[in-house]
Amino acid sequence: MKKLLEDYMIECVICIIAIILIIFNPHKVAMGLTYAVNMYVNLFLIIVSVAFLSGFISEAVPPNTIGRIIGKDSGWKGILIGAIFGTFMVGPTYVFYPLFRNLIDKGAGINVIATTIGAWAIKVQWIPFAIVLLGWKFTLIFNLLIFLFAIASGFVVAFFSEKDY
Amino acid sequence: MQNLVTGIIMLTLTAGLYVIYLRNNRAKLKKAIQKGSKNLIQNSIRIFAIFVIIGILQNFLSKEAVSNFLIKFSGIKGIFTGTVTGAIMMGPVATGYPIGKYLLENGGTVALASSFLASWVMIGIISIPLELKNFGKRFTITRNLFAFISVIIIALIMEVLL
Repeated sequence: MKKLLEDYMIECVICIIAIILIIFNPHKVAMGLTYAVNMYVNLFLIIVSVAFLSGFISEAVPPNTIGRIIGKDSGWKGILIGAIFGTFMVGPTYVFYPLFRNLIDKGAGINVIATTIGAWAIKVQWIPFAIVLLGWKFTLIFNLLIFLFAIASGFVVAFFSEKDY
Repeated sequence: MQNLVTGIIMLTLTAGLYVIYLRNNRAKLKKAIQKGSKNLIQNSIRIFAIFVIIGILQNFLSKEAVSNFLIKFSGIKGIFTGTVTGAIMMGPVATGYPIGKYLLENGGTVALASSFLASWVMIGIISIPLELKNFGKRFTITRNLFAFISVIIIALIMEVLL
């Protein structure tokens, strides 16, 4: 019980905040909860896939397979795979965090994972929409800079945190 | 819709991997499914909690209120305010763009709009606890600190180029 509380401390705090806010403005909180349920249903298939894909990777994939493709020493190939994956995938990044952790445990490079998370900020599917709203010059320079940041982020984060794993 | 298509593709892929590689290995199959179910429950609680905060935040801070607050700032102050606001606000990329458009159209600087948008897509204060739990302190701190600095640099470059 104590461990459960410790594990889900943040979630408990959120729950308490929500309850307090209900007293002040039940309508807005209800709308917020509806949003949360909608989002969860919307992403349900992805959430299920991530959970079971993690299960598969930790039980059935030999470590060196992952390491060869996106390991620390996979060089630019790994970085590029991470960047492209991050750019095209849909859904919030944090839904994929447990899967990424799993991949790191199986030999994926920290630089590759950090680059993937960084590149998540670019959403190719939404670029046409952004061009309509913000103009092509703004949109293209903006996304190009984010792409460069994502690659740089891989190197910086790996440099400082590699010894943790 | 996009989520549904991606979800179906991912689920088919996952099911395919289970069938192809674990069909003949009962013990491993059972273990993988057990682990998967455990992951599903754990991830669901954490992710749902984040959705709740985003939902509540969206309803308490309307887009109009945020835009009207941001538009008052320019220069370095604008970049800083844009970055912090973008980091607190969270949501799909697509909902951030209209705010950026509003800022640009109503006299906000390019630096303000780009710092807000860049921080919106790159930094999420709300998901930091999840990042900490999965990747540890050093990873989370370096990644977010570097993102924060990058947002400011991106805003400055955008201001110069546009």
